[in-house]
Amino acid sequence: MSDGKEHDSGSVEPGDTSKRVGMEVIRERGVDPEELREKLVDAIGAEFTTYYYYTNLRMHLAGEEDYKEITEDARLEDRAHFELVVPRVYELEGSLPNDIREFADRASCPDAEVPTPMDDDGGFDTEDLEVEDILEVLLEAERCAIRTWSEICDMTRGADPRTYDMAQRILNEEIDHEAWFIELLSKERDDEINPAGHFARGEPGDAPYSTNNRFNDSA
Amino acid sequence: MTGRADDTWTVTVVVPEESSLDAAGETVELEVAEHETILAAARSAGVWLPADCQQGWCITCAARLVEGDVVHPDARRYYDGDREADFVLTCTAKPRADTTVVVDRYDDLLEHRAERGKPPGSAKIRG
Repeated sequence: MSDGKEHDSGSVEPGDTSKRVGMEVIRERGVDPEELREKLVDAIGAEFTTYYYYTNLRMHLAGEEDYKEITEDARLEDRAHFELVVPRVYELEGSLPNDIREFADRASCPDAEVPTPMDDDGGFDTEDLEVEDILEVLLEAERCAIRTWSEICDMTRGADPRTYDMAQRILNEEIDHEAWFIELLSKERDDEINPAGHFARGEPGDAPYSTNNRFNDSA
Repeated sequence: MTGRADDTWTVTVVVPEESSLDAAGETVELEVAEHETILAAARSAGVWLPADCQQGWCITCAARLVEGDVVHPDARRYYDGDREADFVLTCTAKPRADTTVVVDRYDDLLEHRAERGKPPGSAKIRG
């Protein structure tokens, strides 16, 4: 080893704030940090839109208090995923779009809309809305998230341990969520017992894998 | 259009030389049932094609139709302009004829969408 300190080496000059070693080390390991960053914006766009849409889906599970609570856990955990990864986007010299419409348009998963048309007064036409239809929307949203975070795990494995750590922790929770909604949809639609195998969370939105710091205890 | 007795079509997947996929430069023939997507058939055959949402939304799986016919009954975001320009989303595309596609066309479709003010291109590419 040379006499110089390790951080003296590499393409970033000492004191240079125009570059980030935290990005260059990723590039040196074969991953384009700008491409990764944009994929992260897409992924947290999906977490954010899901947080929004789950609010509406939860509202429409009228009278199904157990389903509401479980949907609320998934909803708040998706918000936790957004909160977890936002700082990483900025570390990689990115930013959130200024226009929320742009953010939603580039989300990597479909809008999880209430599966019913609007009525003539601009409200939801709930006449034919079934609980099982809402559960199916929830299930497919979770499946999309599993695919997205698996892709990010693939992209970062062995090259970017910080993003990989975030992605695999989020993936853990998305797989939990899929199992919950498989259990509920199986029972509701098919009258089948198909246990998730787990559930217990602490407070709503506990996010046991993905919460670094409580983002706001009063939230 | 009439399906054949076995409801299966030959889908030829061309992976461009410049692709970063493992199969770059290869051309692979798949037998794809009418109910099956091109992506699922490829992955089952050990050909790893790119995809993310697998719901016809994010366009990660974009490809270009060279010949044949596909339908996208379950795609969440597939526009007439995509069809007219021969873009295919392999995650939801089901063959209705012997078909050839060139895969790994995400950047092309992103730009195509941006030019027409359609997402996600319109949100990701600034003019």
